[in-house]
Amino acid sequence: MTTTIIWTIAILTVLGAVLAVVLYIVAEKFKVEEDPRIDEVEKVLPGANCGGCGQAGCRAFAQFCVESLPELDKCFCPVGGNDGMQKVAAVLGVEVAAKEPQVAVVRCNGSCENRPRTNEYGGYQSCRVKASLYSGDTGCSFGCLGCGDCVAACQFGAISMDPATGLPVVDEEKCTACGACVKACPKNIIELRNKGRRNMRVFVSCVNKDKGAVARKACKAACIGCGKCAKVCPFEAITVENNVAYIDFTKCKLCKKCVAECPTGAIHAVNFPVVKPKPEAAPAPKPAEVPAAETVKKEE
Amino acid sequence: MEKLLVSPSPHLHTKTSTKSLMRDVVIALLPAVVVSVLFYGWSELLVLGVSVASCVLLEFLITKYLLKKPCTVCDWSAVVTGVLLALNLPATTPWWVVFIGAVVAIGVAKMTFGGLGQNLFNPAIVGRVFLLISFPTYMTDWTRPQGFIGGGIDGFSGATALGVAKEGGVAAIEGLDYMDMLFMNIGGSAGELSALALIAGFIYLLARKVIRPYITLSILATVAVFSGIFWLINPAEYTDPIFNLLTGGLLLGSIFMATDYVTSPMSNMGGVVFGIGIGLITMLIRYFGAYPEGVSFAILIMNSVVPLLNKWFHAKKYGRA
Amino acid sequence: MMKTFSIGGIHPNDSKISKDCKIEVLPVPSKVFISVAQHLGAPATPIVKAGDQVKAGQVIAEPAGFISAYVHSSVSGTVKSVGPRKDLAGNNMTHIEIDVEGDEWAEGIDLSDTLVTEIPEDNKAILEKIKLNGVVGLGGATFPAHVKLCPPPGKKADCLILNGAECEPYLTSDYRIMLERSKEIVVGAAIMKQVLGGCPAVIGIEENKPEAIAAMSAAVAELQKTAKGYDGISVMTLKKKYPQGGEKQLIDAVMGRQVKSMGLPIDVGAVVQNVATSLAVYEAVQKNMPLVTNVMTITGDCLPMEKQHNYKFRIGMPLSYVAEVAGGVPEQAAKIISGGPMMGKAIANLDATTVKGSSSLLYLTAEQTVRGVESACIRCGKCAEACPMGLEPFLLNKYARNNMMDELEENAIQDCIECGCCLYSCPANIPLLDIIRLAKGDVIRIIRGRSAK
Repeated sequence: MTTTIIWTIAILTVLGAVLAVVLYIVAEKFKVEEDPRIDEVEKVLPGANCGGCGQAGCRAFAQFCVESLPELDKCFCPVGGNDGMQKVAAVLGVEVAAKEPQVAVVRCNGSCENRPRTNEYGGYQSCRVKASLYSGDTGCSFGCLGCGDCVAACQFGAISMDPATGLPVVDEEKCTACGACVKACPKNIIELRNKGRRNMRVFVSCVNKDKGAVARKACKAACIGCGKCAKVCPFEAITVENNVAYIDFTKCKLCKKCVAECPTGAIHAVNFPVVKPKPEAAPAPKPAEVPAAETVKKEE
Repeated sequence: MEKLLVSPSPHLHTKTSTKSLMRDVVIALLPAVVVSVLFYGWSELLVLGVSVASCVLLEFLITKYLLKKPCTVCDWSAVVTGVLLALNLPATTPWWVVFIGAVVAIGVAKMTFGGLGQNLFNPAIVGRVFLLISFPTYMTDWTRPQGFIGGGIDGFSGATALGVAKEGGVAAIEGLDYMDMLFMNIGGSAGELSALALIAGFIYLLARKVIRPYITLSILATVAVFSGIFWLINPAEYTDPIFNLLTGGLLLGSIFMATDYVTSPMSNMGGVVFGIGIGLITMLIRYFGAYPEGVSFAILIMNSVVPLLNKWFHAKKYGRA
Repeated sequence: MMKTFSIGGIHPNDSKISKDCKIEVLPVPSKVFISVAQHLGAPATPIVKAGDQVKAGQVIAEPAGFISAYVHSSVSGTVKSVGPRKDLAGNNMTHIEIDVEGDEWAEGIDLSDTLVTEIPEDNKAILEKIKLNGVVGLGGATFPAHVKLCPPPGKKADCLILNGAECEPYLTSDYRIMLERSKEIVVGAAIMKQVLGGCPAVIGIEENKPEAIAAMSAAVAELQKTAKGYDGISVMTLKKKYPQGGEKQLIDAVMGRQVKSMGLPIDVGAVVQNVATSLAVYEAVQKNMPLVTNVMTITGDCLPMEKQHNYKFRIGMPLSYVAEVAGGVPEQAAKIISGGPMMGKAIANLDATTVKGSSSLLYLTAEQTVRGVESACIRCGKCAEACPMGLEPFLLNKYARNNMMDELEENAIQDCIECGCCLYSCPANIPLLDIIRLAKGDVIRIIRGRSAK
């Protein structure tokens, strides 16, 4: 009995020792040389592996950062944001310039009410499948298809479909501006825009390139490319191209003149404090012509 | 006409649905069910009733409250499991044992994997094997209860033909008539009664294109060849091929259980290999194992190889010789 | 033993309700809108502008690139505008709007019914005529015909296959022309065969059309007796199975050869043309008639017999106009399809106009066409059994949903011909083809990108 136990212990000990030696030799022989800084950088990254930086994941991004030294200009982790990049820079011992924080913005206002359905889609509920088949179930061939590819693409649960409007809603708190939804949207409706001063933003909530009359017929809230906004903008932040206006967020100073001028309400201003009705300094638009001028809108 | 419907092609769809396929399996099982009820009477009806009812009820409760998935009761798959489980049990099985079998079949073998289409092993067989191991006394009690028709066969009232052969060797089953096996005069669990009823179901399934014949035929062929070789070598020790084909759960297993969509290979070639595996393991257990019958174990073992078979065997592709 | 393709296939009910309706000529509306994208490849460039007078048969748009085609006016009148208009799918495409005035045809077009059986000798001139008259394949893909009839250097056609299978349920336009224009089709076949270097020509027709088989066989026999250049043309009866009319399947059925993955039919010495294309070739070469008309079927189970039609239409007619002339859109129609029910396109916009390749207005009821609710895959393998390319749609579906591009390519998703057999046969209503079609596009892009490097 005791001999059995002793033998067992002895054999196992010898076996363990021999294997340990083998393992050590193999580990030494096939050692992969890797920059230890990659590990260091990876530790300070968020670990979401979302691919928002353009790399395959956080480790790949860490590697990319180390490889692109001494400059980190091309590297930006949207999830970690500026704070995160400062940490990365500190680990690598370099400086990095701060980037303006961004947020995903849905540029379509074609709710069921604004944009009546003209047919019924009966295929697989995916925007990509739908977009490859036809222009969509409304008269607008540019707008949101409403199947929620962006919702599925978001790893942070920041996008959800609003059942009332049939449009996606971005939760600004959760959005990390990783850009997954921008890539997922086959209609290129979602755009990353600078968050803006105190989160206040003004943007054209439409990408319809049809001529004014066609666009308006399809959707009450469409941009008809009339150019009134561009004329009224004091900062030349608005351009009208292909029958659709675009506001350059780097130039926009949030004066909201365009919002008041837009005849269809296609320009949205979000997160502005609610102003009590009082005469404004700017040349006031004829109030009667502004249809239901919700100048202050919660972003949809 | 209101709004036009728009969807990608194709715009037509076959009438066959999961529901109709499962219903066809139940219809194919009916001859066997009728024979077993006639032969075993009320107690068989009780086993069937408890088995089907508890399978359906469990499926309903689990999908609704545990998995919170769309309810799959309406697709008849639980009914199939229930009937198959019942046909795999002796008519004398107490109702609570049947219920435990249903819990294991639906609850453990099917739902823990994620429900319909996800399970690795055939639920009815898992249920049956669980009971066979846990309650061997009930599961091997082949006392014949009073049926609605037919007389008893004295020599076989206490055990199956395979059991007798295992105990007493080939000599013990001498005088057994193949015609009895083909019809319904051999002892065994309900589904093992009548080869003819099962074959009728097989023909129905083939005619309705519910199953492809490859798996079933390769199992039967393997059993025939394997037992044939041994029987030719030593007919005094090994039972003959026809006896092996017609007895036990081989027909029930090869027609209804091994061909279960979810737990069998997708390709025809994979199916053939799968069938050969089942046939071999069955015969190894019958000839050399401790149990008189091995179809259930054989199917379970081969179920576990299915993912591998799916990886190895693919359909023949156009233009890629 | 009748021939058919060797892998997969399905047997949907063929529902050829309108097969006994003779071809009628659709009256010309007061206005037509002619699309510049009526063919595979680059949209043609318009060469007319608002205010121009045009005659029927006059070129109004020129090809823009190698794979592109001429577009001709189908009516005479004044060009009203050249601009964007929504096509069948609701997307903007340039259309030429013409106000119809009279019915005057351009010079040099033979409008008579006389059959011209003598085939011109100059192959180059024939090809030029086919090209100038805007002939495209009318079997579905609308691939420019002259490109297909010029095999790349080093490749030789062993067989010209005329596709008279019409395997799509409901459609009867090919069937009607095979009955009513059989000799013209045979002449077209003889022309193409001569251009291809005199290879044999086989007209493949499915067994469910015995009258067409008889008519075509008689036409071949008569022409072989009375004229030169018609040897080596034969009619082959094929077993009924969908998708027999698929190019790759037809080659397999007729020649017993299989085109390699990502390869072209000419790689195995085959050229496949639809019977309607053959008729268009006849018109173009023998009559100098551009491709501005074609035959389409108006059908559906919910249409009474008197509203079933086979119409000879001109390109540019609004579909709403066609539907109106045919007796209106039936109340029960839930979906209108241009093309067959297996591969046709659901129409989102009835204001879209007829194009060269239009083959039908098919009305399906909700009961026939609404998809069932998707349920779990039960791994029955019916999709794999049905796939005529021998693919495993259940597997591709899983890989595609997880974006596993390497696995998709390994499992030959790029070979998918989008015939719809998988989705048709899935008992769990899984949208297999919707998903596979998309992933196939992605994989082909990856493959092309790789070979471009």
